[in-house]
Amino acid sequence: MGQFAQFAINGLMSGAIYALIAVGIVSVFKATKVVNFAHGYVIMFGAYFYYTFAVIIPGMEGAPAWLASWNPAWMAEMRADLPMFSPMGAVLDWAANVPRILFGLAGALVCNAILGLIIERTLMRPLMGQSIFAMIMITVGLISILSGTASLIWTADADFVPHIAPNAPVRFDLFGTPIFLFGADLVNMAIALLIFVGIVLMVRYTKSGVAIRATAEDQSTAYSMGISVPKVFSRAWVLACTTGAIAGAILATRNGISPSLGLFGFSVLAIVLMGGLDSYIGVFIAAMAVGVMEAMTQWQLGGDWAEIVPYVAVLVVLLVRPHGLFGQAEVERI
Amino acid sequence: MINGNLKSTYAADERVLNNSYKQAFVYGMILALGLFTLTANDYFILIACKMGILLIAVVGVNVLTGYTGLVSLGHGAFIAIGAYVTTAFHNGFAGIIPDQIMPLIAIPVAIAVSALIGIIVGLPSLRVKGLYLAVATLSASFIVIFLIEQDAFAPFTGGVAGINTPIPNLFGWELDTKREMFVLIASLAFITLLMAQNLIRTRVGRAFIAIRDRDYSAEILGISLLRYKLTSFAISAAYCGLAGALFAYFYARILPEQFELDLSLELVAALIVGGMGRTMGPVFGVIIIVMVPELIKISFGAATGGALDLQRYAAPMQEIAFGLLLVFFLLKEPLGINHITDRILRAANRWPFARG
Repeated sequence: MGQFAQFAINGLMSGAIYALIAVGIVSVFKATKVVNFAHGYVIMFGAYFYYTFAVIIPGMEGAPAWLASWNPAWMAEMRADLPMFSPMGAVLDWAANVPRILFGLAGALVCNAILGLIIERTLMRPLMGQSIFAMIMITVGLISILSGTASLIWTADADFVPHIAPNAPVRFDLFGTPIFLFGADLVNMAIALLIFVGIVLMVRYTKSGVAIRATAEDQSTAYSMGISVPKVFSRAWVLACTTGAIAGAILATRNGISPSLGLFGFSVLAIVLMGGLDSYIGVFIAAMAVGVMEAMTQWQLGGDWAEIVPYVAVLVVLLVRPHGLFGQAEVERI
Repeated sequence: MINGNLKSTYAADERVLNNSYKQAFVYGMILALGLFTLTANDYFILIACKMGILLIAVVGVNVLTGYTGLVSLGHGAFIAIGAYVTTAFHNGFAGIIPDQIMPLIAIPVAIAVSALIGIIVGLPSLRVKGLYLAVATLSASFIVIFLIEQDAFAPFTGGVAGINTPIPNLFGWELDTKREMFVLIASLAFITLLMAQNLIRTRVGRAFIAIRDRDYSAEILGISLLRYKLTSFAISAAYCGLAGALFAYFYARILPEQFELDLSLELVAALIVGGMGRTMGPVFGVIIIVMVPELIKISFGAATGGALDLQRYAAPMQEIAFGLLLVFFLLKEPLGINHITDRILRAANRWPFARG
């Protein structure tokens, strides 16, 4: 029971991050009817941007010292008489990194937003109204362009980046069994859930959210109602890329930074299809379910098998429910 | 000038090469290939072998994507199955079946296993299509590669470390040089191309095209979607299985990572660049997809003078070029190179009159 709860919580935490990545794919699909196969590589760019602004730039000559490590007098004082490995020490370690974490996140958000605008303008806009096949294949081409560009700019070596939140270990008892977690993972989960809920609320209640839904319903009707469809397209891409930047930063702190981050996008794509492409709720449930199933597989069969869980799950779901768990079936005319 | 499509016999109407330009092109190409085999240096033979293996697989993808309209992003897995079945068959039946006829049995077995797994992978295509199918095939290919890497199958597949492949022996003729392999690959590629061209002229091929154009309409016309979609998957997987068998014979060692996503994307990219649903499309596509990265490597090496610290930029450049090629063709020439050659041929046909 104790092991089960531990792995279930681990699974929910990675499920929340899957949901955060999936929100980017769903948003772009809702607005533009394009499924972005390259979303994993957009996330990889977010991670590399975070790495650039949080590690490379603060480490350069000429960067102010407080950016690399913020250490005011009162903090040094507090640190002086702390025992080793105390939770307070972890918080203070984190506090020293706060400037570069914020700088890294801001840089990643801005750069990824620009990346999204560039992709939308140069690749997606010219194909508006063309076949869906061509648009999907463009994103497949984008995979190679993005991964090639990333290894041109950044060396392909794996590296580590500062955690977004204090990484203090958290221990507590659940049903009489001890649970062991890391503080950073909990905060990551909270961030992912907050952003997910925020986007769902935005799509439901704000003006631009309604515009996205109207465009999803019928592009030409939305156009004739005075909604600028191209603007909706670029907004959706920017939304996807900025959430991707945060997801990338979180993934980078969890798994370290490496070109293989891009492959993450394919398992999330499987999750999105499993939940139903146009349903935020379905995707959320699917993400959580896959997260937990992965953790259980890891527990029972070992870490190797966890990596194919999303793919097996999507195949099973597609055979039973072709449009995913909560997706709308398309009505086709002959 | 050809000023009409005047046929007086059925036999003339049924010919594959139905005008003199096509005849001249095909016979000229056969002659050029023969000369190439005799005179080209080893490097060109190596490139040509790569092209030939890829061509057979792309012809298979063309049957599925180009003619039947089912998108697959996982055909690299069928090449993997072909390659591994061939290798495992050679290792398992060494000594039982004489070496001289081993490839004659191993290749059909590889093709059959691929086709069978193709049918299984094709099962989702009955319920989903388009994008969903693309992800389903992608998932299936990830699972296949994952299983190949597992320790449980390592005695047959060698696991992550890979496995050494056999040398084919046809009736005592040991194909141990690349040039000899090229003869085998080129002739098989030619046969598969001819078979694909003839396939679409049959009842089955016409059913494929009807499914591509509108599957529900095709069903109303009495075409069984179940039967023909699975047939299409089986045929395309069989072609990829053949490509895989040749892949195993050609390279000294195969690794699971050679068959990952990159290979599957290369197949689809070659098809898009060359022209989907056309016989010559895969040929043009494969030439471009193999040549462009190779040219980049050569010109990059020449430009940097072979400086080692700059060599690491060559691989990303190739990758970017590959992506740009795909994007360029989708944006500017969605019907592929075949459409360009069509225009040129039409202009030649009508010369000296209006072009276009």
